[in-house]
Amino acid sequence: MSRGKKLSYGMAINEALHQIMEQDERVFVLGEDVAKMGGDFGITKGIWAKWPERIKDTALSESAILGLSCGAAVCGLKPVPEIMFADFLGVGFDQITNNAAKLNYMYQGKAHCGITVRAPQGGGIRCAYHHSACVESWFMNTPGLVIVCPTTPYEAKGMLISAIKSDNPVLFLEHKALYNVKGEVPEEMYEIPLYEAEIEREGSDVTIVATQIMLEKAHKAAAQLEKDGVSCEIIDLRTVFPYDKDAIQKSVAKTGRLVIAQEGVKCGGWAAEISAMINEDVFEYLRGPVKRVTGLDSPMPFSPGLEDYVMPQQDDLVKAIREVMEY
Amino acid sequence: MLSNERLLKLYRDMVMIRRFEEVIETYAANGTVPGFVHLSIGQEACQAGVVDCLKKTDYKFPDHRGHGAIALCGTDPKLVMAEIFGKATGVNHGRGGSMHVNDLDCGNMGFNGIQGSTMVTCLGTAFNAVYNHTDAVTAVFMGDGTLGEGTCHESMNMSATWKLPIIYCLVNNQYAISTKYTEAHPQQRLKTWGEGYEVPSFYVDGNDIEAVVEAVESAVERARKGEGPTLLEFDTYRWQGHFAGDPAAYRPDEEVQAWKDRDPVKLCRKTMLDRGIAEGDIVKIEEEEEAHVQEMLKFSLESPFPGIETATTYTYADREVETR
Repeated sequence: MSRGKKLSYGMAINEALHQIMEQDERVFVLGEDVAKMGGDFGITKGIWAKWPERIKDTALSESAILGLSCGAAVCGLKPVPEIMFADFLGVGFDQITNNAAKLNYMYQGKAHCGITVRAPQGGGIRCAYHHSACVESWFMNTPGLVIVCPTTPYEAKGMLISAIKSDNPVLFLEHKALYNVKGEVPEEMYEIPLYEAEIEREGSDVTIVATQIMLEKAHKAAAQLEKDGVSCEIIDLRTVFPYDKDAIQKSVAKTGRLVIAQEGVKCGGWAAEISAMINEDVFEYLRGPVKRVTGLDSPMPFSPGLEDYVMPQQDDLVKAIREVMEY
Repeated sequence: MLSNERLLKLYRDMVMIRRFEEVIETYAANGTVPGFVHLSIGQEACQAGVVDCLKKTDYKFPDHRGHGAIALCGTDPKLVMAEIFGKATGVNHGRGGSMHVNDLDCGNMGFNGIQGSTMVTCLGTAFNAVYNHTDAVTAVFMGDGTLGEGTCHESMNMSATWKLPIIYCLVNNQYAISTKYTEAHPQQRLKTWGEGYEVPSFYVDGNDIEAVVEAVESAVERARKGEGPTLLEFDTYRWQGHFAGDPAAYRPDEEVQAWKDRDPVKLCRKTMLDRGIAEGDIVKIEEEEEAHVQEMLKFSLESPFPGIETATTYTYADREVETR
């Protein structure tokens, strides 16, 4: 790969869209304000100028945006719908869970629903409870669906290319608090495989599984605890569902301890799923209880102090890691 | 006015799907057909009429009461029946059953068990035709009940704005399960919903096969010319309850009888006799289709159930799910 240049997370996604659209005429984009304006967060800018027929501004109709995408995908196109905020997926929920996720099964693989639904999620931007949710857990109860949560600009570009090339429906959940974070990104098109987690930091005492903004907090917590002699291994989950069971199990086999850092609410989250899997499958590896560090079971408040309180922070992670280290 | 030849063909189709449904009803009642089925007896003219105006390459979205249309889309109907029986020989190998029979080879896109869902999926097949410059049209069946779903309104708004080649086949069979359409909608004629979105909308006697075909042909022509969607409200009636076994006590007997007196199959038969078509030719069709349906039934009953080995296959395009 070429030497990377510095790109923001948002512009890495933009570059991925431009490159895949250049290469594959089946790819098209639709959504609210995506064409002339280039999207509410500017992620689709420049596409309309190049390919006005391949990017469509729509009415405020999430069901229609997603339903159209499903139908077009079955015909062999590669739709990349944008849902302005992941919270709005609730309006089109049926099209994701009952339609997109089941079409491959329904047609016995004779047609696929290869849609990539892009939607920004997550808190920390002071927008309260209808523009801040992490929605992975709303959807991971749905076999047939792939849920991707990229963290770095490098991941965002490579995983978007893989998602669009996939014949599965992919929910590509971007974190809006990461849009302006810069990182090295190769100029050419490249793929980062779905379903594979990445070990970002090796360690021997405790495994931390995290995604998106919780990863930075995990790294800071690990650096803090290193001074006390605690060695943390950090796994970037990348694909939240179906997740990389092997990578987590191998790490826990080594460390014997697991802390899962999930931004979204605690109840029924993917952290609970991973915790249950470890307890069921490899209980003998564990030296202590699996801990979850998550958002509180509350809607996201608006006022900065309140939002920070509801979201899981570095201190919460440090506390949880210290607790499991007591075993 | 349709040619005698076309009338005979449509009559054959209607006789076949009438007998098909009667057989399903019998075998649902005795427990041989698993699950529940929604019978389309009484609605044969709109089912046969719509399908007859479409090509194999056109996209057809049947509704949940869609056995008739599905059996006419081009799939060998015995494979459709076997699917409804949950058999391995079914067109979808017993994965979908009554509500999800699909066959992409003949443009049957299948129904989605959630009312209104196909109303937005159909935007995508129509969009594909525009995107790839083909002349394929998309026909989507919906009921009076479906119109309560928001997806209908998103769909008509978008298809009318973008002039997508869609024919909304609104089968107004008067009831959404037990609720008369006038109790759920403010309009006497549901086609006015379409007019609100500037979708050309027409009322059609859904039990008159000639009226159905004429209306669908003009809608198909508009769609192929790039003039956008059309809504056709087919006024008709389902004779049976909502599902096989529903006694439908919510409907007055006189109303049911009045609609049975306007049986679309008998109306077509009468039209043919009035035009001088020999009764012998008509009876021959009836006998042939009876034998045809009996052959489907034999095939369906004798076919094995699917093995469990592949029950979860095709959940993903590129990976298997874990088994127990």
